[in-house]
Amino acid sequence: MRFNEKELVSLSRQPSEMAAELGMRGPKKGDVVKKRLVKLVVNFLFYFRIDEEEPIGALLLEQCRVEREDSQSFSITFLDEAERKYLFECDSEEQRRQWVDSIMKASYEFMRKNLIFYRTEIHRLTGKDPLEQYGISDETRFQVNNGLRLMPRDTSSL
Amino acid sequence: MKLNERSVAHYATCDSPPDKTGFLFKKGERNTAYHRRWFVLKGNMLFYFEERDSREPIGVIVLEGCTVELCESAEEFAFAIKFDCAKARVYKMAAENQAAMESWVKALSRASFDYMRLVVKELERQLEEIQEAAGGGCVGAGVGGLQGRPKSSSRRNQVVARSRSGASSSTSSSSSISSSSSASPMAGPFPAQKSLQDEVQLFSDCSKENGVAWSKPPAAFANGFVEGASSCVAWEACTDSGNNTVIGYGADGMRAPPVPPRRRGASLESPVSPGTGCFSKLHDWYGREVEELRVQWLQSQ
Repeated sequence: MRFNEKELVSLSRQPSEMAAELGMRGPKKGDVVKKRLVKLVVNFLFYFRIDEEEPIGALLLEQCRVEREDSQSFSITFLDEAERKYLFECDSEEQRRQWVDSIMKASYEFMRKNLIFYRTEIHRLTGKDPLEQYGISDETRFQVNNGLRLMPRDTSSL
Repeated sequence: MKLNERSVAHYATCDSPPDKTGFLFKKGERNTAYHRRWFVLKGNMLFYFEERDSREPIGVIVLEGCTVELCESAEEFAFAIKFDCAKARVYKMAAENQAAMESWVKALSRASFDYMRLVVKELERQLEEIQEAAGGGCVGAGVGGLQGRPKSSSRRNQVVARSRSGASSSTSSSSSISSSSSASPMAGPFPAQKSLQDEVQLFSDCSKENGVAWSKPPAAFANGFVEGASSCVAWEACTDSGNNTVIGYGADGMRAPPVPPRRRGASLESPVSPGTGCFSKLHDWYGREVEELRVQWLQSQ
C-alpha cells in the first residue's frame, strides 16, 4: 500500500506529545528488545534508532489496544492481528502509566467519541447544539445520533 | 520507513464509519493522466481504492499538515492537496462536479488531528463552564475556576478511557470552503490550548482499546469523584435543579477533573449526586453502550 512517506517523516519531526528512550521489541518471533527513541505525534507512534534523525518506522494508532504488560512495560496490539504484540519497556511504573494513558487517548476515533459525548451533554444541559455557533454542526465527523447503534459497513457516497 | 500497513489498511475497511467517501480523479505520479479512484476519508487518513468494492486500498494520504487549494487546471473541478515539507508531493485531484469539489475540499481541509482536538477542547471547556455555572456559589476557597475560564494550570483535563467505532455519518452541506487544515477555520474564538495535563492514572490494570469493544469488563475503573472530592460539604452544597453533572471540589479548592463519559456508568458507589435522576439515566445509557460494545466485540471475533 502506498503512502506519503516524506510527509510522514516530516510529521515525525513535529513537536510531540511524548518522547522517550524505551526498550522496544517487534511483534515477530525472534525479535529482541532494542533501545529506541519512541515519539508520539498525533495518532502516530514513531520509533527511531537513538540519535538518528529519520524514524525506522511508524505505527498508526487507530484500531489498536494498549495494555499494561507488567509494572514497567506495556504492549500495543492491532485489532486485526491480535497475536502480534509490540512490546515497550519503560524505566518506571509511572512512565509506563503515562505512556499507556497517552497512547490510549491518541487516536482520532477516541477524540471523536469524546466530542460526541460533550456535544450531546451540552445539548442536554442547555438545549443548544454547541457547534452551531461555529457553523460546523453538519460536518460528518461531528455527527452524534448514531453513537449507540450498530452500524453495518456503509461505503456509499455520503 | 516502515509503517504498520496491514493494520492501516484494516482501519480503512473496518466498520468505523468514514467521514466521506466518493469517486475522485487523481493525477498519477509519473503517468500524468487522471485516474478515477474510490476515496475513503477516515479521520486524518485519505485512502484510495481502485474500485468501490475493492478489498484493500491502493494507497493512503496522511493528511496531517496539509493544505487544500483550488487549482488552475485543464481539468474541471480540480483541487490540490499540498504539504509544507521539502520535496513534498502535490496531490492533484478532480471532482465530478462543483458541489462534490467544494464538499471534498472542505472535508479534507478539516481532517487534521489538531482540528478535531481543538473542537474537543473547546467543547470540554464549554461543558465545564456550564457545570460551573450550574453549581456556582457553593465553594468558598479556591473559586478561581468559577470565574470565567479555569486556569490551565489548575485544571486537569480528563478524557475518556476508550473509544469505539459506531458514530454516524451524514451528508455534509458545504457552504464555505476553507483552505487550510492546520489553521483554525472557525469563526468562533477557539483557545489555542497546547498541552493536555494528564490526570493521575486510575486504571492501570485495564487494557485500553481505541477501536472495537473491550475484551475485559471495565470493572477496574476507579471513580474519579472519590479521588477529587475529599470534601463532602462541596457535594451537598452544589445542589441544583438536578441537571448538574457533579464536580467535586478538593479541600484546597482544586477542582476534581470532570468525569469522563465511561466511568459514571461503571461506578455505583459514588456519593449521591444532586442530579441522581440524570445520573441513573446516564448509567443506563452507558450500560446499554457497554452491552452493545460487547455484542459488537463478540461479533467481530
